[in-house]
Amino acid sequence: MILRILFQLVKRLAPIFLTIFFIVWLYTYYGAWDYTIKNLSEFFRLILEHFILVIISMFCAVIVGVTLGTIMTRKSMEKASSVIMAVVNVWQSVPSLGVLALAYGFLPFIGLSGIGMVPALIALFFHAVAPIVRNTYAGIESVSKDVIEAATGMGMTKKQILFQIELPNAMPVIAGGIRTSTAIIVGTAPLAFLIGGGGLGFWIFTGIALVDMGIMMAGAVPVALIAMLFDYCLGVFEKFLVSRGVRTDEIELA
Amino acid sequence: MGTMLSLQKVTKIYPGAGHIKAVDELSFDLEEGEICTLVGPSGCGKTTAMKMINRLISITSGKIIIDGKDISRLNTIELRRSIGYVIQNIGLFPNMTIGENIAIIPKLLKWDRAKIDEKVQRLLEIVNLDPDEYKDRYPKELSGGQQQRIGVARGMAGDPPIMLMDEPFGAIDPINREHLQNEFLKIQEKVKKTIVFVTHDIDEAIKMGDKICLLRDGHLVQFASPEEMLTHPKNDFVADFAGGDRTLKRLNLFTVKRAMKDNPPIINQDETIETARNLFSEINTRYLIAVNSEGRLTGMIDKQDIPGKALLVKDAVAPTNAWLTSQSSLKDGLSEIFSHDYGFLIVVDDAKKVLGWLHTEDIKETLKG
Repeated sequence: MILRILFQLVKRLAPIFLTIFFIVWLYTYYGAWDYTIKNLSEFFRLILEHFILVIISMFCAVIVGVTLGTIMTRKSMEKASSVIMAVVNVWQSVPSLGVLALAYGFLPFIGLSGIGMVPALIALFFHAVAPIVRNTYAGIESVSKDVIEAATGMGMTKKQILFQIELPNAMPVIAGGIRTSTAIIVGTAPLAFLIGGGGLGFWIFTGIALVDMGIMMAGAVPVALIAMLFDYCLGVFEKFLVSRGVRTDEIELA
Repeated sequence: MGTMLSLQKVTKIYPGAGHIKAVDELSFDLEEGEICTLVGPSGCGKTTAMKMINRLISITSGKIIIDGKDISRLNTIELRRSIGYVIQNIGLFPNMTIGENIAIIPKLLKWDRAKIDEKVQRLLEIVNLDPDEYKDRYPKELSGGQQQRIGVARGMAGDPPIMLMDEPFGAIDPINREHLQNEFLKIQEKVKKTIVFVTHDIDEAIKMGDKICLLRDGHLVQFASPEEMLTHPKNDFVADFAGGDRTLKRLNLFTVKRAMKDNPPIINQDETIETARNLFSEINTRYLIAVNSEGRLTGMIDKQDIPGKALLVKDAVAPTNAWLTSQSSLKDGLSEIFSHDYGFLIVVDDAKKVLGWLHTEDIKETLKG
């Protein structure tokens, strides 16, 4: 019995620990640790910039994405929503680097600088908003018509139906969209450096340019750890947000 | 007992599609505490008619009066909150627990917490689900039949005087459906709601309805009690819809008690065989019903099958299961008569006290009216 529990535990935790062990080993092997210690203040600045990039663009994408997705499901928006959906679908197929380049090239036309953190934030935001819009729309649309009819017939107002019925029931799908977006943002954030957006991408690209594995690892390893951290936090967040009644299966925290 | 619900020349015309009248000048009155079943072939307008009552569908012309008030003058939301609503596909809210589902209307009506809890508790008891076990479960963890009971409980939660039920048992397998129907009728005896019940099944309409409203192409064909409709169908359509076996269907509308004769050939089992023999020849019968001193059924004695050495009736009694309680339907009664050789059936009360006996002739008499 105890052996079996132990085995289960090992089976669950082993991949996580192996990954972390591998990363840490890479980190120390190439001397990234020493480089980081030497440039500690810069390290913290880059971490901060990286977090700002991810959190702000994520926050805006969630707010705008969920709102837009919700508005699109309203009856009066039927025609507009199909147009928005088409745009969103096309937009989502543009690769991350392309989005950054587009921001760099396009922003000067509307009187903004194409270089710096703001363009990077704008690019990340636009790239991340698509899956959230799409999932919010699909999630609310997939709420059973019977459920809505019952709620309407019982005398719930449109607002009550939206906040007490539609959104909570669409939440697993919306959360899925947010997870996808986070993965996209976390994966794209290092590229922000290319248009002067700062963040840990600075060390990664510097390392590549100088063919210095130490500097590269000093940037790459924290990026990987941050990605894991966000995924974990989102998993926890999801548990609070998604009612047990609509959860499809237990979410593995990894 | 006044008129609770009154439809007055209610008409619905859907725009486009040649202005077909989905519901055409439908009028009927419903007394407080009555169940009215709206029945008819698909597309007859029964669901449309029902949904106009809580204004899920707007009325083109005509009036609906609830408890003396014209519903077109009421606030839609408040109107709906005062009407219980149960639909075929149940529509429980998957994100809420059973308790939260039932509590939704009381919460919207801003009842206080303690009153809501008490209501949830009581409703779960009424629909025969243990509150402690089910209150905190989610809809997906319940079977279809259980979910539908919650649907009914939720519909009753706001103490609405009127309930609308749209084929509430339509998606449930026949065995569970019959069970739920019986349970629901028992609940109704306690709560006495005024109910509009939509169904496409004439048997269900007969069973559940105090009144049946038969619709065809939006027109009211007949509005009558089940008994009236089965005995005097207004035209061939009603007769057809009620089915060729409508006389047999009427058997469901009567209890055994109503048809039975209360002079059964009874003998106390402590009497002597001699007394029994005299009684056999006196009333010219083959069977006597044996009872104990309290009048409860113990069995039957057959004139042609009395053991020679028997002294008391008790010694000659053979147990029998040719009996039914007085509240059973005549249909069960008839079936029971045919499954035994006695040619009659013993009618008893809940304590198994003999009340009377029932012959096929008695049933015929009752059906004649």
